[in-house]
Amino acid sequence: MLERPDGADLLATAREVVLSDLLPALPAEKAFHARMVAAAIALALRERGTGTADVEAALQDISPDLATLATAIRAGTHDPGTPTHEAVAAFLREYARLRARVSAPKALA
Amino acid sequence: MTPEAQSRLRNWLAHATGDASLRIEGVTRLSGGAIQQNLALDVTTRGAPARWVLRTDSDATLAVSLSRPQEYATLRAAHAAGVTVPEPLLLCEDTTVLGRPFFVMARVDGIAAGHRVVKDSALGGGREELARALGRELARIHAIRPPRADLAFLGDPPEDAARAAIAAMRARLDAAGTPRPVLEWGLRALERRAPPPAAPVLVHNDYRTGNIMLDAHGVTAVLDWEFAAWGDGHADLGWFCAKCWRFGNVAQEAGGIGPRGAFYSGYEAASGAPVDRDRAAWWEIMAHIRWAVIAADQAVRHMSGQERSLELALTGHIVPELEWDILAMAERL
Repeated sequence: MLERPDGADLLATAREVVLSDLLPALPAEKAFHARMVAAAIALALRERGTGTADVEAALQDISPDLATLATAIRAGTHDPGTPTHEAVAAFLREYARLRARVSAPKALA
Repeated sequence: MTPEAQSRLRNWLAHATGDASLRIEGVTRLSGGAIQQNLALDVTTRGAPARWVLRTDSDATLAVSLSRPQEYATLRAAHAAGVTVPEPLLLCEDTTVLGRPFFVMARVDGIAAGHRVVKDSALGGGREELARALGRELARIHAIRPPRADLAFLGDPPEDAARAAIAAMRARLDAAGTPRPVLEWGLRALERRAPPPAAPVLVHNDYRTGNIMLDAHGVTAVLDWEFAAWGDGHADLGWFCAKCWRFGNVAQEAGGIGPRGAFYSGYEAASGAPVDRDRAAWWEIMAHIRWAVIAADQAVRHMSGQERSLELALTGHIVPELEWDILAMAERL
């Protein structure tokens, strides 16, 4: 219904302009800002392509919400040796992986 | 700086140095942090040029950091203890001069920027040698011990620095209000394995690549003392070696600069005491958690509208990577 190219295409194209056309022409003290703009666009594009449903469903298996989970962890409810320890550890890995895939995918390499 | 402010500054400097003929030749902004402002100050005094730095608060001040007069006192203590710092010269607490307190210190040459430092393997006589020098430097800081009348503003040392750090991080998470189950997981793991209290020393609390000026011969200045506090010296060892402060050069475990072993051996040689490896590892996890808490708070400054900034916004996106590393480290603790 909406005109194309879509937002993702426009963002990706804009990022190329920043990196290929603008960055080489900028003085050194502004290059940092151009790189930040490119990084922000790349991050926003990764976020668009990331579904959170699986990890949200996995959360429901161990806790009603993140706040309740955080409080329980602090209280020691999921310490090693408790029946829920492994399940919570596995969830936290998935939760961190999902967010790192958007925010810092290189960290997962 | 307005011409009026510069004129007030000149008059104050002339009075403070006892040189009525002191002239300001130039004032230029140096790259500063979000909290402090550093100005390069070139003057002629007693017929000779002098190169100084004027350090003052920027608009955004952070309640958790030391005030400029307190930072000045800390810098003097460090200078007297033989730590390589810019020589502290003058302190002005009269806010009619520049609107806020400031101090003046010697201007030192060198490079500090993390991404440059970790790429330059010739700095400080090579990676091994520089890592050892950085260890020696840190040991000198830790030789400053309480009680000290000149550092009374630091308060009493915590009875148990490890547990105090856990409580402080939890308080900041609670104040921020965003649930962070991974950071809670890391803090709970640290709580279960907290080391017993150690004799308190002066902890720099931001001793890392990026805050230390270096040249071909070694350390030229340890900078940014505003987070100094009494505590466990291993907190600085852990902060320096933390993966998140290696600026991508992760194989060089001492700040992306050199080998951890060389850093520890320099520290041990100068302090005369062994580095407790387990204790340092504990504080290294705490370093990741502390940086995650700070980074999350920086994003909030952006999101709340207090200070709209792309840099602050992107800093918040460091948190997931830190959490990924914290989970792996907590597993091995």
